[in-house]
Amino acid sequence: MSQEASSLHYVQIDEKRCVGCVLCMKACPTKAIRVRDLKVAQIVGTCVDCGECIRVCPHGAVRAITTRSDYLAPAPHMIISASPVLYSQFGQDVMPEEIQAAMHRTFEYVFDQTYFLDLYNVALEIYIKENRCREGAVKPLISPVCPVVNRLIAYRFPALLKNISPILTPREIAARELKRRIEKDDLLSSSDYGVYHITPCSAKMISIKNPMFLKTSYLDGAIGINDVFDSIKRNLPGPEEESMISPSNSLAIGWGISGGEIASMDEGNYLAVSGLPETIRYLEKIEMGLFSDIEYFEFRACLEGCIGGPLTVADRYEAKRTVTKISRMFFHDKRIRYAQAERAYKKGWFFSERRQGPVVHLVEKSGIIHAIERQEKIEKILSSLPGKACGFCGSPDCRSFAEDVADGNARLESCIMRRS
Amino acid sequence: MAHLTKTYPIKARDYLKAGEVSMEIHGLMKKIGFDSDLIRRVSICAYEAEMNVVMHGGDGVLNVEIGSESINLNVKDSGPGIEDIGLAMQEGFSTATEEARQMGFGAGMGLPNIKKNSDRLEIISDKGMGTEVRVGFTV
Ligand SMILES: Nc1ncnc2c1ncn2[C@@H]1O[C@H](COP(=O)(O)OP(=O)(O)O)[C@@H](O)[C@H]1O
Ligand SMILES: [Mg+2]
Repeated sequence: MSQEASSLHYVQIDEKRCVGCVLCMKACPTKAIRVRDLKVAQIVGTCVDCGECIRVCPHGAVRAITTRSDYLAPAPHMIISASPVLYSQFGQDVMPEEIQAAMHRTFEYVFDQTYFLDLYNVALEIYIKENRCREGAVKPLISPVCPVVNRLIAYRFPALLKNISPILTPREIAARELKRRIEKDDLLSSSDYGVYHITPCSAKMISIKNPMFLKTSYLDGAIGINDVFDSIKRNLPGPEEESMISPSNSLAIGWGISGGEIASMDEGNYLAVSGLPETIRYLEKIEMGLFSDIEYFEFRACLEGCIGGPLTVADRYEAKRTVTKISRMFFHDKRIRYAQAERAYKKGWFFSERRQGPVVHLVEKSGIIHAIERQEKIEKILSSLPGKACGFCGSPDCRSFAEDVADGNARLESCIMRRS
Repeated sequence: MAHLTKTYPIKARDYLKAGEVSMEIHGLMKKIGFDSDLIRRVSICAYEAEMNVVMHGGDGVLNVEIGSESINLNVKDSGPGIEDIGLAMQEGFSTATEEARQMGFGAGMGLPNIKKNSDRLEIISDKGMGTEVRVGFTV
Protein backbone atom coordinates (compact mmCIF):
# COMPACT_ATOMS: atom_id res chain seq x y z
CA MET A 1 0.00 0.00 0.00
CA SER A 2 1.38 3.42 -0.79
CA GLN A 3 2.09 5.87 2.00
CA GLU A 4 -0.76 8.00 0.78
CA ALA A 5 -3.22 5.12 0.80
CA SER A 6 -2.24 3.95 4.25
CA SER A 7 -2.80 7.39 5.75
CA LEU A 8 -6.26 7.63 4.29
CA HIS A 9 -8.85 6.86 6.95
CA TYR A 10 -12.56 6.69 7.34
CA VAL A 11 -12.38 6.94 11.12
CA GLN A 12 -11.77 10.57 11.95
CA ILE A 13 -11.32 12.75 15.01
CA ASP A 14 -13.15 16.06 15.10
CA GLU A 15 -10.62 18.51 16.54
CA LYS A 16 -13.34 20.90 17.65
CA ARG A 17 -15.08 18.33 19.82
CA CYS A 18 -11.97 16.58 21.14
CA VAL A 19 -11.04 17.76 24.64
CA GLY A 20 -7.66 16.01 24.65
CA CYS A 21 -8.44 13.28 27.18
CA VAL A 22 -6.60 10.01 26.63
CA LEU A 23 -9.49 7.54 26.41
CA CYS A 24 -9.21 6.84 22.68
CA MET A 25 -5.42 6.66 22.85
CA LYS A 26 -5.69 4.08 25.62
CA ALA A 27 -8.33 2.06 23.78
CA CYS A 28 -6.52 1.92 20.45
CA PRO A 29 -5.41 -1.69 19.90
CA THR A 30 -2.69 -0.74 17.41
CA LYS A 31 -1.43 2.23 19.49
CA ALA A 32 -2.01 4.58 16.58
CA ILE A 33 -3.27 7.61 18.55
CA ARG A 34 -1.27 10.32 20.29
CA VAL A 35 -2.48 13.29 22.34
CA ARG A 36 0.54 15.57 22.27
CA ASP A 37 0.50 18.14 25.11
CA LEU A 38 -2.91 16.73 25.95
CA LYS A 39 -4.41 19.11 23.40
CA VAL A 40 -6.06 17.06 20.73
CA ALA A 41 -6.04 13.39 19.77
CA GLN A 42 -4.42 12.58 16.46
CA ILE A 43 -4.18 9.40 14.45
CA VAL A 44 -0.48 9.04 13.67
CA GLY A 45 0.27 5.36 13.28
CA THR A 46 -1.14 2.32 11.59
CA CYS A 47 -4.86 2.84 12.11
CA VAL A 48 -6.86 -0.20 11.00
CA ASP A 49 -10.26 1.53 11.15
CA CYS A 50 -11.50 -0.80 13.92
CA GLY A 51 -13.55 1.91 15.60
CA GLU A 52 -12.62 1.19 19.22
CA CYS A 53 -12.04 4.94 19.59
CA ILE A 54 -15.58 5.64 18.40
CA ARG A 55 -16.96 3.47 21.20
CA VAL A 56 -14.99 5.06 24.03
CA CYS A 57 -15.12 8.76 23.15
CA PRO A 58 -17.52 10.43 25.62
CA HIS A 59 -17.68 13.59 23.50
CA GLY A 60 -18.74 12.10 20.20
CA ALA A 61 -15.55 13.46 18.68
CA VAL A 62 -14.66 10.31 16.76
CA ARG A 63 -16.79 9.36 13.80
CA ALA A 64 -16.81 6.78 11.08
CA ILE A 65 -17.11 8.42 7.69
CA THR A 66 -19.84 6.58 5.79
CA THR A 67 -21.86 7.33 2.68
CA ARG A 68 -24.31 9.28 4.82
CA SER A 69 -21.62 11.56 6.14
CA ASP A 70 -19.55 11.41 2.97
CA TYR A 71 -19.26 14.67 1.09
CA LEU A 72 -19.91 12.69 -2.09
CA ALA A 73 -23.66 12.44 -2.57
CA PRO A 74 -24.81 8.89 -3.26
CA ALA A 75 -26.14 8.01 -6.68
CA PRO A 76 -29.78 8.95 -7.46
CA HIS A 77 -30.90 5.35 -7.02
CA MET A 78 -29.61 3.41 -4.07
CA ILE A 79 -29.50 -0.36 -4.25
CA ILE A 80 -29.31 -1.62 -0.70
CA SER A 81 -27.68 -4.82 0.41
CA ALA A 82 -27.81 -5.22 4.16
CA SER A 83 -25.55 -7.12 6.51
CA PRO A 84 -27.43 -9.92 8.32
CA VAL A 85 -26.39 -8.16 11.54
CA LEU A 86 -29.39 -5.91 10.90
CA TYR A 87 -31.65 -8.83 11.96
CA SER A 88 -30.11 -8.75 15.42
CA GLN A 89 -30.83 -5.12 16.14
CA PHE A 90 -34.55 -4.87 16.84
CA GLY A 91 -34.89 -7.33 19.70
CA GLN A 92 -36.09 -10.92 19.85
CA ASP A 93 -39.73 -10.13 19.03
CA VAL A 94 -39.09 -8.59 15.64
CA MET A 95 -38.80 -11.19 12.88
CA PRO A 96 -36.46 -10.94 9.89
CA GLU A 97 -39.41 -10.76 7.48
CA GLU A 98 -40.73 -7.73 9.35
CA ILE A 99 -37.35 -6.06 9.09
CA GLN A 100 -37.28 -6.91 5.39
CA ALA A 101 -40.71 -5.38 4.95
CA ALA A 102 -39.55 -2.21 6.70
CA MET A 103 -36.46 -2.11 4.50
CA HIS A 104 -38.62 -2.26 1.37
CA ARG A 105 -40.65 0.66 2.67
CA THR A 106 -37.54 2.66 3.50
CA PHE A 107 -35.46 2.11 0.39
CA GLU A 108 -36.18 1.83 -3.30
CA TYR A 109 -34.30 -1.42 -3.98
CA VAL A 110 -33.39 -3.87 -1.23
CA PHE A 111 -31.70 -7.26 -1.40
CA ASP A 112 -31.20 -9.88 1.25
CA GLN A 113 -27.77 -11.46 1.47
CA THR A 114 -28.80 -14.99 2.44
CA TYR A 115 -28.33 -16.49 -1.00
CA PHE A 116 -24.84 -15.03 -1.33
CA LEU A 117 -23.80 -16.13 2.14
CA ASP A 118 -24.81 -19.67 1.21
CA LEU A 119 -22.88 -19.49 -2.03
CA TYR A 120 -19.84 -18.13 -0.23
CA ASN A 121 -19.94 -20.98 2.25
CA VAL A 122 -19.98 -23.58 -0.52
CA ALA A 123 -17.01 -21.91 -2.21
CA LEU A 124 -15.16 -21.75 1.08
CA GLU A 125 -15.74 -25.45 1.72
CA ILE A 126 -14.43 -26.35 -1.72
CA TYR A 127 -11.41 -24.09 -1.37
CA ILE A 128 -10.44 -25.55 2.01
CA LYS A 129 -10.91 -29.08 0.70
CA GLU A 130 -8.65 -28.30 -2.26
CA ASN A 131 -6.12 -26.71 0.05
CA ARG A 132 -5.78 -30.01 1.91
CA CYS A 133 -4.18 -31.70 -1.06
CA ARG A 134 -2.55 -28.67 -2.66
CA GLU A 135 1.20 -28.95 -2.91
CA GLY A 136 2.93 -26.41 -0.67
CA ALA A 137 -0.43 -25.13 0.58
CA VAL A 138 -0.42 -22.28 3.09
CA LYS A 139 -1.70 -23.21 6.51
CA PRO A 140 -3.67 -22.00 8.27
CA LEU A 141 -5.96 -20.11 5.91
CA ILE A 142 -7.43 -16.88 7.22
CA SER A 143 -10.91 -15.52 6.51
CA PRO A 144 -10.96 -12.49 4.16
CA VAL A 145 -14.25 -11.18 5.56
CA CYS A 146 -13.17 -8.72 8.28
CA PRO A 147 -11.58 -5.60 6.72
CA VAL A 148 -9.99 -4.62 10.03
CA VAL A 149 -8.21 -7.95 10.30
CA ASN A 150 -7.04 -7.65 6.68
CA ARG A 151 -5.48 -4.28 7.46
CA LEU A 152 -4.01 -5.48 10.69
CA ILE A 153 -2.31 -8.30 8.80
CA ALA A 154 -1.03 -5.94 6.10
CA TYR A 155 0.53 -3.55 8.61
CA ARG A 156 1.67 -5.81 11.42
CA PHE A 157 1.78 -9.36 10.07
CA PRO A 158 2.68 -8.99 6.38
CA ALA A 159 4.18 -12.49 6.36
CA LEU A 160 0.59 -13.77 6.75
CA LEU A 161 -0.90 -11.90 3.77
CA LYS A 162 -0.52 -15.07 1.73
CA ASN A 163 -2.72 -16.93 4.24
CA ILE A 164 -5.78 -14.80 3.55
CA SER A 165 -8.27 -16.80 1.48
CA PRO A 166 -8.68 -15.36 -2.04
CA ILE A 167 -12.43 -16.01 -2.22
CA LEU A 168 -14.53 -12.90 -2.77
CA THR A 169 -16.40 -11.85 0.37
CA PRO A 170 -20.20 -12.34 0.39
CA ARG A 171 -20.79 -8.58 0.31
CA GLU A 172 -18.69 -8.25 -2.84
CA ILE A 173 -20.23 -11.30 -4.52
CA ALA A 174 -23.66 -9.87 -3.76
CA ALA A 175 -22.84 -6.40 -5.11
CA ARG A 176 -21.31 -7.79 -8.30
CA GLU A 177 -24.30 -10.03 -8.94
CA LEU A 178 -26.84 -7.27 -8.24
CA LYS A 179 -25.07 -4.99 -10.70
CA ARG A 180 -24.92 -7.74 -13.31
CA ARG A 181 -28.65 -8.36 -13.05
CA ILE A 182 -29.57 -4.70 -13.17
CA GLU A 183 -27.48 -4.25 -16.29
CA LYS A 184 -28.80 -7.42 -17.90
CA ASP A 185 -32.44 -6.41 -17.40
CA ASP A 186 -31.62 -2.82 -18.30
CA LEU A 187 -33.30 -1.60 -15.12
CA LEU A 188 -31.17 1.47 -14.55
CA SER A 189 -28.32 3.09 -16.42
CA SER A 190 -25.00 2.60 -14.70
CA SER A 191 -24.43 6.26 -13.87
CA ASP A 192 -27.77 6.40 -12.11
CA TYR A 193 -27.32 3.95 -9.30
CA GLY A 194 -24.94 2.59 -6.72
CA VAL A 195 -24.93 -0.45 -4.47
CA TYR A 196 -24.65 0.43 -0.80
CA HIS A 197 -24.00 -1.84 2.11
CA ILE A 198 -25.78 -1.33 5.42
CA THR A 199 -23.19 -2.35 7.93
CA PRO A 200 -22.18 -2.54 11.59
CA CYS A 201 -18.56 -1.93 10.59
CA SER A 202 -16.46 1.23 10.66
CA ALA A 203 -13.92 -0.26 8.26
CA LYS A 204 -16.38 -1.12 5.48
CA MET A 205 -15.93 2.29 3.93
CA ILE A 206 -12.17 2.00 3.58
CA SER A 207 -12.54 -1.53 2.23
CA ILE A 208 -14.80 -0.11 -0.48
CA LYS A 209 -12.91 3.08 -1.30
CA ASN A 210 -9.45 1.60 -0.95
CA PRO A 211 -9.69 -2.20 -1.25
CA MET A 212 -6.68 -4.25 -0.34
CA PHE A 213 -6.90 -7.08 -2.82
CA LEU A 214 -9.54 -6.13 -5.38
CA LYS A 215 -8.84 -3.76 -8.25
CA THR A 216 -12.03 -1.95 -7.32
CA SER A 217 -14.85 -2.81 -4.97
CA TYR A 218 -18.21 -3.75 -6.48
CA LEU A 219 -19.84 -1.72 -3.74
CA ASP A 220 -20.24 2.04 -3.99
CA GLY A 221 -20.57 2.94 -0.36
CA ALA A 222 -21.41 1.90 3.17
CA ILE A 223 -24.06 3.14 5.56
CA GLY A 224 -23.93 2.53 9.30
CA ILE A 225 -26.79 0.58 10.84
CA ASN A 226 -26.97 3.38 13.41
CA ASP A 227 -27.59 5.88 10.59
CA VAL A 228 -30.73 4.16 9.32
CA PHE A 229 -31.99 2.38 12.44
CA ASP A 230 -34.68 4.95 13.26
CA SER A 231 -36.06 5.10 9.71
CA ILE A 232 -36.29 1.32 9.53
CA LYS A 233 -37.85 1.08 12.97
CA ARG A 234 -40.51 3.61 12.02
CA ASN A 235 -41.40 1.48 9.02
CA LEU A 236 -41.74 -1.84 10.84
CA PRO A 237 -45.15 -3.40 10.13
CA GLY A 238 -47.78 -3.20 12.86
CA PRO A 239 -48.93 -6.30 14.77
CA GLU A 240 -51.98 -6.94 12.57
CA GLU A 241 -50.08 -6.58 9.29
CA GLU A 242 -49.10 -9.75 7.49
CA SER A 243 -45.44 -9.97 6.38
CA MET A 244 -43.95 -11.95 3.55
CA ILE A 245 -42.29 -15.22 4.48
CA SER A 246 -38.59 -14.58 4.68
CA PRO A 247 -36.32 -16.53 2.34
CA SER A 248 -33.61 -16.49 5.00
CA ASN A 249 -32.11 -19.44 6.86
CA SER A 250 -30.55 -19.87 10.26
CA LEU A 251 -27.02 -19.80 8.89
CA ALA A 252 -27.50 -16.39 7.33
CA ILE A 253 -29.22 -14.97 10.38
CA GLY A 254 -26.41 -16.20 12.60
CA TRP A 255 -23.62 -15.12 10.24
CA GLY A 256 -22.84 -11.99 12.19
CA ILE A 257 -21.97 -13.80 15.42
CA SER A 258 -18.42 -14.98 16.00
CA GLY A 259 -18.32 -18.47 14.52
CA GLY A 260 -21.11 -17.74 12.03
CA GLU A 261 -18.91 -18.06 8.98
CA ILE A 262 -17.67 -21.52 9.91
CA ALA A 263 -20.93 -22.75 11.45
CA SER A 264 -21.99 -24.69 8.37
CA MET A 265 -18.73 -26.55 7.94
CA ASP A 266 -18.73 -29.77 9.87
CA GLU A 267 -15.60 -31.69 9.03
CA GLY A 268 -12.20 -30.12 9.52
CA ASN A 269 -10.31 -28.14 12.07
CA TYR A 270 -11.59 -24.55 12.19
CA LEU A 271 -11.42 -21.87 14.83
CA ALA A 272 -13.32 -18.61 15.32
CA VAL A 273 -11.62 -15.85 17.29
CA SER A 274 -13.12 -12.44 18.04
CA GLY A 275 -11.90 -9.18 19.53
CA LEU A 276 -8.82 -7.32 18.35
CA PRO A 277 -6.50 -8.03 21.31
CA GLU A 278 -7.15 -11.79 21.04
CA THR A 279 -6.87 -11.64 17.26
CA ILE A 280 -3.46 -9.97 17.57
CA ARG A 281 -2.28 -12.66 19.99
CA TYR A 282 -3.39 -15.41 17.64
CA LEU A 283 -1.82 -13.77 14.59
CA GLU A 284 1.39 -13.45 16.54
CA LYS A 285 1.31 -17.16 17.30
CA ILE A 286 0.39 -18.11 13.74
CA GLU A 287 3.33 -16.08 12.51
CA MET A 288 5.53 -17.95 14.96
CA GLY A 289 4.39 -21.17 13.31
CA LEU A 290 2.37 -22.47 16.26
CA PHE A 291 -0.95 -23.26 14.58
CA SER A 292 -0.12 -25.54 11.69
CA ASP A 293 -2.85 -28.00 12.76
CA ILE A 294 -5.69 -25.51 12.22
CA GLU A 295 -7.00 -25.21 8.67
CA TYR A 296 -9.03 -22.05 8.81
CA PHE A 297 -9.31 -19.10 11.14
CA GLU A 298 -12.35 -16.88 11.24
CA PHE A 299 -11.08 -13.66 12.79
CA ARG A 300 -13.40 -10.80 13.68
CA ALA A 301 -11.98 -7.58 15.10
CA CYS A 302 -15.13 -6.91 17.09
CA LEU A 303 -15.77 -8.87 20.26
CA GLU A 304 -18.49 -11.53 19.68
CA GLY A 305 -18.28 -10.85 15.93
CA CYS A 306 -19.92 -8.31 13.63
CA ILE A 307 -22.96 -8.04 15.93
CA GLY A 308 -20.56 -6.13 18.19
CA GLY A 309 -19.63 -3.66 15.45
CA PRO A 310 -19.15 0.01 16.35
CA LEU A 311 -21.99 1.15 14.05
CA THR A 312 -24.67 -1.02 15.67
CA VAL A 313 -27.46 0.15 17.93
CA ALA A 314 -28.27 -2.89 20.08
CA ASP A 315 -25.95 -4.12 22.83
CA ARG A 316 -23.77 -6.95 21.50
CA TYR A 317 -25.00 -9.50 24.03
CA GLU A 318 -28.64 -8.66 23.46
CA ALA A 319 -28.01 -8.86 19.72
CA LYS A 320 -26.45 -12.28 20.23
CA ARG A 321 -29.47 -13.49 22.18
CA THR A 322 -31.80 -12.15 19.50
CA VAL A 323 -29.91 -13.95 16.75
CA THR A 324 -29.62 -17.22 18.66
CA LYS A 325 -33.31 -17.20 19.42
CA ILE A 326 -34.57 -16.18 15.98
CA SER A 327 -32.24 -18.42 14.02
CA ARG A 328 -33.79 -21.46 15.74
CA MET A 329 -37.07 -20.66 13.99
CA PHE A 330 -35.50 -21.01 10.57
CA PHE A 331 -34.33 -23.85 8.40
CA HIS A 332 -30.78 -24.84 8.90
CA ASP A 333 -30.11 -26.01 5.35
CA LYS A 334 -28.63 -23.92 2.61
CA ARG A 335 -31.17 -23.07 -0.06
CA ILE A 336 -28.90 -23.39 -3.03
CA ARG A 337 -28.00 -26.27 -5.27
CA TYR A 338 -24.58 -27.52 -4.39
CA ALA A 339 -23.77 -28.77 -7.90
CA GLN A 340 -24.65 -25.40 -9.39
CA ALA A 341 -22.45 -23.56 -6.91
CA GLU A 342 -19.67 -26.02 -7.58
CA ARG A 343 -19.90 -25.33 -11.33
CA ALA A 344 -19.72 -21.61 -10.65
CA TYR A 345 -16.68 -22.20 -8.48
CA LYS A 346 -14.94 -24.11 -11.26
CA LYS A 347 -15.64 -21.26 -13.66
CA GLY A 348 -13.89 -18.85 -11.30
CA TRP A 349 -17.07 -17.08 -10.25
CA PHE A 350 -15.88 -16.65 -6.67
CA PHE A 351 -12.62 -15.06 -7.59
CA SER A 352 -11.84 -11.71 -9.04
CA GLU A 353 -8.95 -9.97 -10.63
CA ARG A 354 -6.70 -8.99 -7.76
CA ARG A 355 -4.45 -6.04 -7.63
CA GLN A 356 -0.91 -6.36 -6.42
CA GLY A 357 -1.62 -6.48 -2.71
CA PRO A 358 0.36 -4.66 -0.06
CA VAL A 359 4.06 -5.21 -0.71
CA VAL A 360 6.38 -6.63 1.89
CA HIS A 361 9.55 -4.56 1.83
CA LEU A 362 12.85 -6.28 2.42
CA VAL A 363 15.13 -4.37 4.72
CA GLU A 364 18.74 -3.88 3.61
CA LYS A 365 21.60 -4.80 5.87
CA SER A 366 22.37 -1.12 6.57
CA GLY A 367 18.71 -0.73 7.46
CA ILE A 368 18.97 -3.62 9.90
CA ILE A 369 21.99 -2.06 11.61
CA HIS A 370 20.15 1.23 11.85
CA ALA A 371 17.04 -0.47 13.24
CA ILE A 372 19.05 -2.35 15.87
CA GLU A 373 20.64 0.93 16.95
CA ARG A 374 17.20 2.48 17.16
CA GLN A 375 15.98 -0.40 19.36
CA GLU A 376 19.03 0.03 21.62
CA LYS A 377 18.17 3.68 21.99
CA ILE A 378 14.55 2.81 22.74
CA GLU A 379 15.56 0.27 25.41
CA LYS A 380 17.82 2.85 27.03
CA ILE A 381 15.09 5.48 27.11
CA LEU A 382 12.62 2.89 28.36
CA SER A 383 14.82 2.01 31.31
CA SER A 384 14.54 5.60 32.54
CA LEU A 385 10.75 5.60 32.34
CA PRO A 386 8.43 4.62 35.22
CA GLY A 387 6.41 1.98 33.37
CA LYS A 388 3.15 3.38 34.73
CA ALA A 389 1.48 3.83 31.33
CA CYS A 390 -0.23 6.96 32.67
CA GLY A 391 -0.60 8.56 29.25
CA PHE A 392 0.27 12.03 30.51
CA CYS A 393 3.08 12.34 27.96
CA GLY A 394 0.58 11.89 25.15
CA SER A 395 1.69 8.37 24.19
CA PRO A 396 -0.33 5.28 25.16
CA ASP A 397 2.40 3.54 27.19
CA CYS A 398 6.07 3.91 28.09
CA ARG A 399 7.35 1.78 25.21
CA SER A 400 5.42 3.82 22.64
CA PHE A 401 6.72 6.98 24.28
CA ALA A 402 10.31 5.71 24.14
CA GLU A 403 9.80 4.96 20.44
CA ASP A 404 8.36 8.42 19.87
CA VAL A 405 11.33 10.05 21.63
CA ALA A 406 13.83 7.93 19.72
CA ASP A 407 12.18 8.96 16.45
CA GLY A 408 12.15 12.63 17.42
CA ASN A 409 8.37 12.79 17.67
CA ALA A 410 8.21 13.50 21.40
CA ARG A 411 10.42 15.18 24.00
CA LEU A 412 11.72 13.19 26.94
CA GLU A 413 10.73 16.09 29.23
CA SER A 414 7.07 15.34 28.52
CA CYS A 415 7.34 12.46 31.00
CA ILE A 416 6.59 13.89 34.42
CA MET A 417 7.55 10.73 36.30
CA ARG A 418 10.91 10.09 34.71
CA ARG A 419 13.65 8.70 36.92
CA SER A 420 16.60 11.04 36.55
CA MET B 1 28.66 -3.77 15.25
CA ALA B 2 25.17 -2.95 16.33
CA HIS B 3 24.09 -5.16 19.17
CA LEU B 4 21.00 -5.41 21.30
CA THR B 5 20.95 -7.57 24.40
CA LYS B 6 17.88 -8.36 26.46
CA THR B 7 17.27 -10.66 29.40
CA TYR B 8 13.89 -12.06 30.39
CA PRO B 9 13.05 -14.13 33.47
CA ILE B 10 11.07 -17.37 32.98
CA LYS B 11 9.10 -18.97 35.80
CA ALA B 12 8.84 -22.74 36.01
CA ARG B 13 5.28 -24.20 35.82
CA ASP B 14 3.76 -20.79 34.99
CA TYR B 15 1.65 -22.06 32.10
CA LEU B 16 -0.44 -18.91 32.00
CA LYS B 17 2.52 -16.73 30.98
CA ALA B 18 4.32 -19.45 29.04
CA GLY B 19 5.26 -18.30 25.55
CA GLU B 20 5.28 -14.59 26.32
CA VAL B 21 9.04 -14.21 26.23
CA SER B 22 9.30 -15.74 22.78
CA MET B 23 6.40 -13.58 21.60
CA GLU B 24 8.34 -10.51 22.75
CA ILE B 25 11.43 -11.57 20.88
CA HIS B 26 9.27 -12.21 17.86
CA GLY B 27 7.84 -8.68 18.08
CA LEU B 28 11.24 -7.11 18.61
CA MET B 29 12.72 -8.83 15.55
CA LYS B 30 9.77 -7.75 13.47
CA LYS B 31 10.24 -4.14 14.52
CA ILE B 32 13.84 -4.32 13.39
CA GLY B 33 12.79 -5.77 10.08
CA PHE B 34 14.59 -9.11 9.82
CA ASP B 35 13.66 -11.56 7.12
CA SER B 36 10.40 -13.28 8.06
CA ASP B 37 11.83 -16.78 7.72
CA LEU B 38 14.66 -15.97 10.12
CA ILE B 39 12.16 -14.44 12.54
CA ARG B 40 10.04 -17.56 12.39
CA ARG B 41 13.05 -19.84 13.04
CA VAL B 42 14.28 -17.78 16.00
CA SER B 43 10.76 -17.56 17.44
CA ILE B 44 10.19 -21.31 17.24
CA CYS B 45 13.50 -22.03 18.97
CA ALA B 46 12.87 -19.41 21.64
CA TYR B 47 9.39 -20.81 22.17
CA GLU B 48 10.53 -24.43 22.52
CA ALA B 49 13.38 -23.49 24.87
CA GLU B 50 11.07 -21.30 26.94
CA MET B 51 8.45 -24.05 27.16
CA ASN B 52 11.07 -26.55 28.27
CA VAL B 53 12.02 -24.32 31.18
CA VAL B 54 8.35 -23.94 32.11
CA MET B 55 7.64 -27.67 31.78
CA HIS B 56 10.79 -29.48 32.83
CA GLY B 57 13.22 -26.94 34.29
CA GLY B 58 13.41 -24.65 37.28
CA ASP B 59 13.18 -20.84 37.31
CA GLY B 60 15.48 -19.43 34.69
CA VAL B 61 16.37 -16.64 32.28
CA LEU B 62 16.38 -16.22 28.55
CA ASN B 63 19.06 -13.97 27.18
CA VAL B 64 18.90 -12.80 23.58
CA GLU B 65 21.63 -11.05 21.62
CA ILE B 66 20.40 -9.47 18.43
CA GLY B 67 23.07 -8.36 15.99
CA SER B 68 23.24 -7.59 12.31
CA GLU B 69 25.41 -10.66 11.69
CA SER B 70 24.08 -13.18 14.19
CA ILE B 71 21.39 -13.83 16.73
CA ASN B 72 22.06 -15.83 19.88
CA LEU B 73 19.68 -17.26 22.45
CA ASN B 74 20.92 -18.42 25.80
CA VAL B 75 18.34 -20.14 27.99
CA LYS B 76 19.44 -21.17 31.42
CA ASP B 77 17.50 -22.74 34.27
CA SER B 78 18.18 -24.15 37.70
CA GLY B 79 16.02 -27.26 37.32
CA PRO B 80 16.79 -30.99 37.54
CA GLY B 81 19.00 -31.01 34.44
CA ILE B 82 19.08 -33.59 31.63
CA GLU B 83 20.72 -36.92 32.38
CA ASP B 84 21.08 -38.22 28.83
CA ILE B 85 21.23 -35.38 26.30
CA GLY B 86 21.45 -37.78 23.34
CA LEU B 87 18.21 -39.42 24.40
CA ALA B 88 16.52 -36.05 25.00
CA MET B 89 17.44 -35.00 21.46
CA GLN B 90 15.56 -37.96 19.95
CA GLU B 91 12.25 -37.21 18.25
CA GLY B 92 9.35 -38.23 20.42
CA PHE B 93 11.30 -38.66 23.64
CA SER B 94 9.59 -36.89 26.49
CA THR B 95 9.36 -37.03 30.25
CA ALA B 96 6.46 -34.56 30.29
CA THR B 97 3.94 -34.96 33.12
CA GLU B 98 0.33 -35.94 32.57
CA GLU B 99 -0.64 -32.35 33.41
CA ALA B 100 1.53 -30.96 30.62
CA ARG B 101 0.30 -33.55 28.13
CA GLN B 102 -3.30 -32.64 28.84
CA MET B 103 -2.49 -29.08 27.84
CA GLY B 104 -1.16 -30.33 24.53
CA PHE B 105 2.55 -30.20 25.33
CA GLY B 106 5.07 -32.98 25.60
CA ALA B 107 5.24 -34.36 22.07
CA GLY B 108 8.98 -34.76 22.45
CA MET B 109 9.63 -32.57 19.40
CA GLY B 110 10.97 -29.47 21.14
CA LEU B 111 14.70 -30.09 21.12
CA PRO B 112 14.67 -31.73 17.65
CA ASN B 113 12.75 -28.66 16.41
CA ILE B 114 15.39 -26.35 17.82
CA LYS B 115 18.07 -28.42 16.10
CA LYS B 116 16.19 -28.27 12.81
CA ASN B 117 15.54 -24.53 12.88
CA SER B 118 18.86 -23.19 14.16
CA ASP B 119 22.38 -22.89 12.78
CA ARG B 120 24.13 -23.77 16.04
CA LEU B 121 22.95 -25.67 19.11
CA GLU B 122 24.75 -26.54 22.28
CA ILE B 123 23.22 -28.06 25.42
CA ILE B 124 25.12 -27.96 28.66
CA SER B 125 23.44 -30.01 31.33
CA ASP B 126 23.69 -32.91 33.70
CA LYS B 127 21.56 -34.48 36.36
CA GLY B 128 21.17 -32.03 39.24
CA MET B 129 23.10 -29.17 37.66
CA GLY B 130 20.43 -27.30 35.73
CA THR B 131 20.31 -26.78 31.99
CA GLU B 132 21.79 -24.27 29.61
CA VAL B 133 20.67 -24.22 25.97
CA ARG B 134 22.63 -22.06 23.52
CA VAL B 135 21.09 -21.50 20.13
CA GLY B 136 22.74 -19.51 17.35
CA PHE B 137 21.58 -18.14 14.00
CA THR B 138 23.49 -16.53 11.18
CA VAL B 139 21.69 -13.51 9.73
N1 LIG C 1 15.21 -27.31 30.58
C1 LIG C 1 15.10 -28.63 30.79
N2 LIG C 1 15.26 -29.14 32.04
C2 LIG C 1 15.15 -30.46 32.27
N3 LIG C 1 14.86 -31.36 31.30
C3 LIG C 1 14.69 -30.93 30.04
C4 LIG C 1 14.79 -29.55 29.73
N4 LIG C 1 14.59 -29.40 28.40
C5 LIG C 1 14.37 -30.64 27.91
N5 LIG C 1 14.42 -31.57 28.89
C6 LIG C 1 14.25 -33.03 28.75
O1 LIG C 1 14.32 -33.36 27.37
C7 LIG C 1 13.14 -34.01 26.97
C8 LIG C 1 12.84 -33.71 25.52
O2 LIG C 1 12.54 -32.34 25.36
P1 LIG C 1 11.70 -31.87 24.11
O3 LIG C 1 12.34 -32.41 22.89
O4 LIG C 1 11.53 -30.40 24.19
O5 LIG C 1 10.31 -32.60 24.29
P2 LIG C 1 9.12 -32.30 25.31
O6 LIG C 1 9.35 -30.95 25.90
O7 LIG C 1 7.90 -32.39 24.49
O8 LIG C 1 9.19 -33.37 26.36
C9 LIG C 1 12.10 -33.53 27.93
O9 LIG C 1 11.01 -34.42 28.05
C10 LIG C 1 12.90 -33.49 29.23
O10 LIG C 1 13.05 -34.76 29.80
MG1 LIG D 1 9.75 -29.28 24.79
